Amino acid sequence: MPRIPIGDWVDSAVDWLQLHLAWLFDAVTSVVTGMYDGIDAALSAPEPLLFAGVLAVVAWWLRGLLAGVLAFAGFALIDSVQLWDDAMSTLSLVLVATVVTLAIAIPLGIWASRSRTVSAVTRPVLDFMQTMPAMVYLIPGIIFFGVGVVPGIIATIVFSLPPGVRMTELGIRQVDEELVEAAEAFGTTPRNTLLRVQLPLALPTIMAGVNQVIMLGLSMVVIAGMVGGGGLGGEVYRAIGNVDIGLGFEAGVSIVILAMYLDRMTGELGRQISPLGRRAVAKARALAGGPNLWNHRPQPVVALVGVVVLSLVAGGMGVFGGSKPTGPSGKGEKITIGYIPWDEGIASTFLWKEVLERRGYTVETQQLEAGALYTGLAGGQIDFQTDGWLPLTHAQYWEKYGDDLEDLGSWYGPTSLELSVPSYVKGIDSLDDLKGASDTFKGRIIGIEPSAGMMGLLKDDVLKEYGLEGEYEIVDGSTPGMLAELKRAYQKKEPVLTTLWSPHWAYSTYDLKKLKDPEGAWGEGDGVHTIAREGFTEDQPDIGKWLKDFKMTEKQLTSLEAEIQETGKGREQDAVRTWLKENPQVEKEMAPQ
Amino acid sequence: MRFQRHFGVCGPTPQGSTARLKGVADRFRSTREVYVSRLQAEHLYKVFGRRPEEAIRRLEGGADREELRADGITAAVIDASFTVEPGQIFVVMGLSGSGKSTLLRMLNGLLGPTSGRVLFDGQDLTALSPAELRAVRSRKISMVFQHFALFPHRSVLENAAYGLEVQGVPRPERERRAAEALALAGLAGWEDSWPDELSGGMQQRVGLARALATDADLLLMDESFSALDPLIRRDMQDQLLQLQKTLKKTIVFITHDLNEAMRLGDRIAVMRDGRIVQLGTAEDILVTPATDYVASFTQDVDRTRVLTAGAIMADVQDARGPGRTAASPEEILAAAPARVTADTPIAELFTPCSTSTAPVAVVDERGELIGVVPGSRLLAVLGEPMTPQPPAAAVPAPSAPRTAPERTAAKAVAGA
Repeated sequence: MPRIPIGDWVDSAVDWLQLHLAWLFDAVTSVVTGMYDGIDAALSAPEPLLFAGVLAVVAWWLRGLLAGVLAFAGFALIDSVQLWDDAMSTLSLVLVATVVTLAIAIPLGIWASRSRTVSAVTRPVLDFMQTMPAMVYLIPGIIFFGVGVVPGIIATIVFSLPPGVRMTELGIRQVDEELVEAAEAFGTTPRNTLLRVQLPLALPTIMAGVNQVIMLGLSMVVIAGMVGGGGLGGEVYRAIGNVDIGLGFEAGVSIVILAMYLDRMTGELGRQISPLGRRAVAKARALAGGPNLWNHRPQPVVALVGVVVLSLVAGGMGVFGGSKPTGPSGKGEKITIGYIPWDEGIASTFLWKEVLERRGYTVETQQLEAGALYTGLAGGQIDFQTDGWLPLTHAQYWEKYGDDLEDLGSWYGPTSLELSVPSYVKGIDSLDDLKGASDTFKGRIIGIEPSAGMMGLLKDDVLKEYGLEGEYEIVDGSTPGMLAELKRAYQKKEPVLTTLWSPHWAYSTYDLKKLKDPEGAWGEGDGVHTIAREGFTEDQPDIGKWLKDFKMTEKQLTSLEAEIQETGKGREQDAVRTWLKENPQVEKEMAPQ
Repeated sequence: MRFQRHFGVCGPTPQGSTARLKGVADRFRSTREVYVSRLQAEHLYKVFGRRPEEAIRRLEGGADREELRADGITAAVIDASFTVEPGQIFVVMGLSGSGKSTLLRMLNGLLGPTSGRVLFDGQDLTALSPAELRAVRSRKISMVFQHFALFPHRSVLENAAYGLEVQGVPRPERERRAAEALALAGLAGWEDSWPDELSGGMQQRVGLARALATDADLLLMDESFSALDPLIRRDMQDQLLQLQKTLKKTIVFITHDLNEAMRLGDRIAVMRDGRIVQLGTAEDILVTPATDYVASFTQDVDRTRVLTAGAIMADVQDARGPGRTAASPEEILAAAPARVTADTPIAELFTPCSTSTAPVAVVDERGELIGVVPGSRLLAVLGEPMTPQPPAAAVPAPSAPRTAPERTAAKAVAGA
């Protein structure tokens, strides 16, 4: 069987598209970004509780008092766990994705319902879109659209388009053929048959499709969070990256609250706007008997006035009370720092954010998955990142994108990669000791993402060097998964063998042994490098110089990490400020004036 | 053409309407030469599948449906030709799969014929552009469906007004006309109800009102009463006949029910396997079924209530008998146990026949003798089997006294 080089074809197709359709991708990016920014600005402007009130009145109007009260309680909960801004970002992302999806899906569905050819062609395409794992097209998405919300929105659109198309097509095809024939028999034009008969009757099904689109969009926000989409998805991604179950749950519940709200509201809207739905609702209400308090719904006028008044108040307060104090005057130039949610990355990124803001720059931080981060850097959407593990761990990214990147040198090091066991595992101190001890660890080495550089190193070099091939099975998974397994085993005092690296917070949280590497199979160890996009040091020579001179000691780094850990998630910059008070010389060293 | 009023259990309709209907019928007959035929189908074919033209050549060469089906071709309608006169109810009867619904849909262009023409009011519908065809459907032809096909998202009034809405009639006028049509269909007061609140019969009245509201001349009814239960169906048939007296639409009515066909149809086309196997009045079909198939259909029909004295009567000469030479009409009239008119159902002849050996006299409106019905003839008509060529002695040319030209036309088509 000859090897069919599909992968190569895709690679060259992506390169070709990037080269020749850049104008199109740029146009899409600016349109989508514009929509997102507009909606996000509108949603984030009001005071959270007042806006929650607006949403609650809408729920009251559509579904009754109980729904209104629950909606308010839900949104108040999101506000109280300090995820309001994230929730609004996520809501904006979902709304933009939904609007674009429906603008494509409904016309396509109508077309497919009227043409067997279109239907036959779209079906496999839709299958492809729905089942192809999102990460597969996310990375090309970053190449085309850059990191940030746009690839997240595009991925969401790709994923949620199929039910929109399918339900529209199904809804129209489901309409009784005799009714369509009746319309034709009375001389109705095809267009009016669609507008007066097919669409009104298909509306409940189409609205079910809209509902599905929104739900699938929400389920994609975590994936979007991995490529810089931010919002609740970003929080969830960060939380799982740090095995922060608490934050993960808070962000997760916030997503659920948004989802339930959107689901119930669109579901009810579907019933309200279709004539058949209204009839069904009226019938059900008549059957249920007289009104009761919880089902009470205000007159549309009352609801409208309520929404308008609350919106005006909320908008007004947002405009007049919500303006944030700005930093000292400076050049105000915008710098974007990307980071992988690893502890040293978070610490150094927010340290730089604080210092640069004190120097008058506007700094934006974007949390990304490693592949997305390098793609974004190479594409120029991100100015620099401080967590490049070179030459080993991130070797593959450097190999692919190195030509478009600038290495500003290592600010911390050396790091090391290792296999670790809890210190209660006796008799295993070195990689040599692992031979013949596979029973202790059930023959398993708990690994991290198979894409990670150290996993390749482990499989290709380390096991071979110590003759452990065949004896141990490397369990591919994820960093959070590895850490969760470590935590579980540690608490039960079970022996466990994990891949780990230094610096890592796990060494301060648990009592672990790094297995010695007498043969030096893991190599020299990485330095933590600052990596900038090509041309950054020319554009920003000051920052370029500061970054090149940047150094941190182990003591500084661990104390900063500890401060961030103590202060809590979402307040990294406060922690940095506290830490800078205790280490006043650092700011001057980093960015001499 | 008038027998149907006596068919069934509901009894004869009032005498006044009988006379009036007869008048209408006579008028049409007398003006046959003058009138432009309202609806004419000429050699209509509808073939589904690949290479339909070739299929038609094969069908013209005598191939039948089954041969084509083996090649994956469905011949739904094969060489259908007929004429429907203005004001007539033309019934197409056949079992499911006989092609009758396909035939109906070719009459208003919902399906384009593979070959052949449909002429309506002198206009060739098959030559029209889609837009022109829609205009014809919207103004001149309306349709009533088997399962009512009411729009569930529209009120009864909005449903009835649908055709007018398509025509672009302003709302006040179309609502007024729709309300009138509803009243005509017996649904006054139900305007603001919704289709799902009505019984099946009432829903079909809405369907009828919707079709009547546009004032179309041609009404296509596709098994319109088949989904209703029998009593409601009879009501609807009565109502349709009643409406037809005043509205005088040209109606093509599809049914699989021979009783319904006999009751409603001025003329009936019987379809089988895509072909029209017989075309004629109910009496023609009962008395001289063109094929065994048609005959087997008619077995369950109560002939004594469908057939009339006029249809089975013998010439006056026959009553004289071989041995007797000089019975004058007066003598026959004197000897006859009863005098009946030509449209008397033969059910009413049994009693007189059983009391006398002399034949029953059939007289016209002026009381003059136009034929006789001997007892032997009465029995022969009812005897089984009704073969395509009944024994000469049993039914000697029952149509002899009749001069209706459609009879010959029917035979021509049936034999084609």
